[in-house]
Amino acid sequence: MLERVRDWLQERRQKLDLFDETLVARQDNPLYLMGPMLYYFWLVTVVTGVILMLWYEPTTTGAYTSIERIQNDIGRLALTFLGRPVTLGGLTRGLHKYGADALITITFLRIYRMYFLAEYKKPGELSWMLAFLGLILGMVSGITGYLLIWNQRAFWAAKVVLTVPVYFDELPLIGPLKFGSMIAFLFLGGPAVGQATITRFYALHFGISLVLLILVEVFFQRTRRKRINMSLFPLALFMVMLVVISIILPAESGRRADPTKTPLPILSDWYFLALYQYVKYTPPLWAGLGPGLLIGFGLIVPFLDRSKGRRPLERPFFTVVGALAVIYFLAFTALILFNIAVIERDPFLIMNITLVVLALGLFWELQYRRRRRQAAAAGISPPARAPAHG
Amino acid sequence: MSTPSPELMQRRKFLKLVTTLPALAAAAALVSPLLRFLKPNVEKFKIYAPTVQDAARGEVIAVATLKEVANPWDYKYFVFTQKYPQYTPEGFKAANVPGVVIKLPYKIALFDPATGQGPLRWVRDIGKTPKVTESDLIIFSRICPHLGCIYNFVPNFKEVTAGYGGYLPPPPRQHALMACPCHLSIYDPADPQVPGRVLSGPAPRPPRTFLYEIQGENIIATDVEPGGIA
Repeated sequence: MLERVRDWLQERRQKLDLFDETLVARQDNPLYLMGPMLYYFWLVTVVTGVILMLWYEPTTTGAYTSIERIQNDIGRLALTFLGRPVTLGGLTRGLHKYGADALITITFLRIYRMYFLAEYKKPGELSWMLAFLGLILGMVSGITGYLLIWNQRAFWAAKVVLTVPVYFDELPLIGPLKFGSMIAFLFLGGPAVGQATITRFYALHFGISLVLLILVEVFFQRTRRKRINMSLFPLALFMVMLVVISIILPAESGRRADPTKTPLPILSDWYFLALYQYVKYTPPLWAGLGPGLLIGFGLIVPFLDRSKGRRPLERPFFTVVGALAVIYFLAFTALILFNIAVIERDPFLIMNITLVVLALGLFWELQYRRRRRQAAAAGISPPARAPAHG
Repeated sequence: MSTPSPELMQRRKFLKLVTTLPALAAAAALVSPLLRFLKPNVEKFKIYAPTVQDAARGEVIAVATLKEVANPWDYKYFVFTQKYPQYTPEGFKAANVPGVVIKLPYKIALFDPATGQGPLRWVRDIGKTPKVTESDLIIFSRICPHLGCIYNFVPNFKEVTAGYGGYLPPPPRQHALMACPCHLSIYDPADPQVPGRVLSGPAPRPPRTFLYEIQGENIIATDVEPGGIA
């Protein structure tokens, strides 16, 4: 048993692909440039982040002021844009923020690509799981980084996120161990969001990227693969895009955090909006369990999907599940942006739509499999599949 | 060198196992000090419950005078300070609990001494007995019992309908309500059976309440219902 697991891991490790670096032959297809882009935006974010650390002050009293200072005073240039002075500090912060946004966007898109093209199938299971974990760590980096600004949006996001695990205490069996409260406490560093929280978030925000960067570097050293499979032109273009957007739309600071007042309306970072809408609909225990199950499903999907084909239409059920996830992500984001949430009506509706769509997906899958069996029995061979990459 | 016999491999496996166990035990023993590093006042080897012994002490304050909340639906916001035993320079870590005093149009039962029921039933758990058992004054903690945002007292229910997700209260409840900006939970402060009843939204329970006394002209908040993150 142990040997089989070891062999399995060995094989996947040899075929491990973190940033599409084994897909050099597919450079003509922008879908496969997402890996190198991911690594590039990550490096931009890390480098600018370290520069920001030179001026940032991780205290509840000084954080917001130091961010304002970075944005408006540090390295003031002799030019203005729309009456605002352009500063190197503001530029660095813009690169950090928009670089991180690009990073999350690319991670999402790459996850969807890997899902719909079934790249998680043998031998890509481990690559898929690491990509998925990367998305989660990226989102954790996002939420820990956001609190560092110490504005209203960040403060309430942190408090809400850290109150969610407290409800795990209601679970049977593991609930009475107070694991939920413990998780909340370890991140909060106290009974409320305060100085200890900002210190811990600062450490996590930097630590996640630092540790991952070292591990990835070890990986590149051992495999002798090229880090960024991308020509100079797109690299320069992306950098110019980041600089331009940082000047046109400087990163916002919002209002300073006020622990005694929650503003109305209040939104989160864009990639948490769908989850935020979901939290409005469900009892609080499910606010934590739902995303947990989603993460669990994502991680074990390579073992759930036993279909033979790799094309989306050759495995209808999982394609339907993926499409549903995309549609819900977009729809929930739209709903919260337009501030629509009829809590009496929507969850019931959404539940029914989900069940019906999943049932139809299952029906489609069964139909497809029966047709293939009939075709095989009639002696018609299926059209040759494109060879698996890797 | 001859190929090792199966028995030899078994022995090696056994020895490996024997050496692994102390290593695992050592790793487990490291977890306890690590947790105490994350939370200094946790007891030794209590790795499963680092949240015990965190009973907060509230600072007794006068939250309002009777004149300020003389008419029905008058309300006043205040901030109550709770101190938790923590390793800080002062020895205590303070957390703010915003609250609201509300004057209701009728009296409601806060605590039934015979059955121990009512919104103040938690008071017995902290070893006290409520002095005010029936009143038209009620004090809620403004920390949303859902996920910890600060909810608002909204004097006009139409503002709730307009700004908090389109909930229209039924006619008997068309008065001042309490509503949370984060996830749109809506509470009725004047429900005679369950003050703070959840009318809409994901909240699992009514907001937490304060224990209070009336001393002369002043309304004094002494304790807040434990639970949640301040």
